[in-house]
Amino acid sequence: MRLTISLALVLLVGLSSCAPNPQPLKKQLTLAVVSGVEGDALQQAARDYEAQKGVHIEIATFPYTNLFEKELIDLKARTGAYDLIMLDDPWFPRFANEQLLTELTPLLEKRGQSGPDSDFVDTSVALCRHPYQSGPLYALPYVGNSQLFFYRKDLFEKYSLKAPETWNDVLAAAKTIHEKETTGANGNRIHGYVMRAAQGNAAVADFMPIFWAFGGEMFGPDGKPAVNSPEGIAALEFMIELGKYSPAGYASFNADEVGAHLLQGTAAMSINWPAWISSFSDPAKSKVIGKMEFTTLPGAQKPGQAEIGNWLIAIPRDSSNAEDAIDFLLWATSAEQMKRSAQRGNPPTRKSLFRDAELVAKNPAYPAQLRSLESSRPRPRTPYWTEIENAFGIFLSKANSGTLSPAEAMNQANAEIEKILQRAK
Amino acid sequence: MPALFIAPALAVLLSLSIYPLIYSVTISLQKETPGGVVWGIGNFARLVSDSFFLTAMAHTFVYAVAALTCEFLLGLGLALLLNSQIRGRGIFRASLLVPMMLPAVVVGVVWRLMLNPNFGAINGTLKQLGINTESLTWTASPKLAMVSVIAVDVWQWTPFVFLVLLAGLQAIPQEPYEAALIDGSSRWQTFRHVTLPLLKPSILIVLLLRTMDLLRVFDQIFILTEGGPGFATETISLYIYRTAFRFFDFGYAAAMSFVLLALTNVISAIYIKFLQAKEEI
Repeated sequence: MRLTISLALVLLVGLSSCAPNPQPLKKQLTLAVVSGVEGDALQQAARDYEAQKGVHIEIATFPYTNLFEKELIDLKARTGAYDLIMLDDPWFPRFANEQLLTELTPLLEKRGQSGPDSDFVDTSVALCRHPYQSGPLYALPYVGNSQLFFYRKDLFEKYSLKAPETWNDVLAAAKTIHEKETTGANGNRIHGYVMRAAQGNAAVADFMPIFWAFGGEMFGPDGKPAVNSPEGIAALEFMIELGKYSPAGYASFNADEVGAHLLQGTAAMSINWPAWISSFSDPAKSKVIGKMEFTTLPGAQKPGQAEIGNWLIAIPRDSSNAEDAIDFLLWATSAEQMKRSAQRGNPPTRKSLFRDAELVAKNPAYPAQLRSLESSRPRPRTPYWTEIENAFGIFLSKANSGTLSPAEAMNQANAEIEKILQRAK
Repeated sequence: MPALFIAPALAVLLSLSIYPLIYSVTISLQKETPGGVVWGIGNFARLVSDSFFLTAMAHTFVYAVAALTCEFLLGLGLALLLNSQIRGRGIFRASLLVPMMLPAVVVGVVWRLMLNPNFGAINGTLKQLGINTESLTWTASPKLAMVSVIAVDVWQWTPFVFLVLLAGLQAIPQEPYEAALIDGSSRWQTFRHVTLPLLKPSILIVLLLRTMDLLRVFDQIFILTEGGPGFATETISLYIYRTAFRFFDFGYAAAMSFVLLALTNVISAIYIKFLQAKEEI
């Protein structure tokens, strides 16, 4: 009986697909996008493209935490379900390393272009190549985030502190503000600094700029992990020193807590991402309107470098519509369309837009953002980054919550990273 | 003909339970390498030397034992209390059930906000009472974080223990109590020799269900601390999740899941044996 039913179903499906289609078959693309402001901009672009070019675009939206697993599972299973995917740049090496993406240069050449537009910021395009900077191109950059240093210019003026250029300036300023502003924010202390040191991404993101400035490198010239170098340990010691001026409990803070402290005016400095900038001038959220300043990251032994965090768009290897996909990809990342995305709040990846008078008038931090982006560094480019970041973050968080000494934490982190790389062999 | 009627259910069971189970056994015995798939017990061998796994296992047991003890004692106490004739017990009973009705994710978010050291309701209240809350960073201090996640579980699941035990208490007939009264037994003697033995089946069920649940706890901890600070509240389910869906090492995650399954089975078997054996005496 079951057999009969299934036979009937097969027949039905077969018949319906044979039925003459009154309309000519429309072209169709499927997009995987992240929920939130970055994905919203691309969705809107897709709707505009649909209206203009008559290509039907199917959009699958996923929250940030699920997007990675969703995409990797689908691409590894070679379902060909997506024609374009949004990727957070630290994920890219894994996708490229497993050869899950379409190389873009041949597609560009077919259209008479030799490579990506030179208007893209170099550090952003470098992320889209595998190996980093030098290899073939597998994606184009869409949203150009890089970390910025946020500080309260009113407090800096009040105590005649100069804009922080080195981490020692930061520490000294944090100390001054912390000691003097004991009743600054509605009777509460203003903390000199606020950082996030929750295990995983948070702790690592706030630590890397300090680590790099102190001369630390995650991998030595021989490719072996080297986080427990004297420079690395000194950087972690410095982070913990700075933590003394951070609100209690920062070892479990994520972006939300850091944002809340800055918006409530209970902390004076922090490393943060450009997405937060607009909220400081929103009267519904901010108690510090007009008091925040944004600049590039402080240096130490080495010049300050921000962590870059771009959203990339790539075409999966198994997409059956690669040529239509590249057409949309080039359209969405064109200066005209990216300007619309920038107007919706996403930092662009094109130099011309960071200098666009209309955008700069709305986003006064754009010059600082461009400087930060152009001098930024990617997270270490390895396919095993999620695993390494997780392990490294655990030990950083342990050191910041006082469970391990900085040297112990770095030694254990180094051993754990080595194990991860060993296993991968 | 009977086979035909069972067939749909069997098909569902085969495709959704049996096949994935067999599949997970096979992947737990595989390791992906650049040179292809290698078969062996590598994933299980790695467990022994993986300090993250061993620590997560230890956390899981600390969590389960502490939460189960508190939930059982509190639940039993509440059940005994609300089984007697006290005023307004209907309201008490109903309000006690509220936490259990909430999804674990909601509980996690609510408590995360309440436990926030700077803006949270708990430290806010303590501050109003004049208590220094400087060091009370509930989810951020390695020592307090475990206490916090256990307290949240106790808050949410004590009502369940209470509910099952109350139902058990109400099913006990009056006659044994009357007999005990006539024999002149004290309240403690009545509780020890009449109530407890007759409540044993309910106790067995509630301990069994809670133990299984506690060993695989995921949602509240994931929302509350994500296993942190550091590794302080990472339980085995969180580590399995991370291994599978963050690091994409499904083989190793499957191996860990089987170890957890085996342990859960052993513990359940011990419970059943222990409680049945006592009944026969």
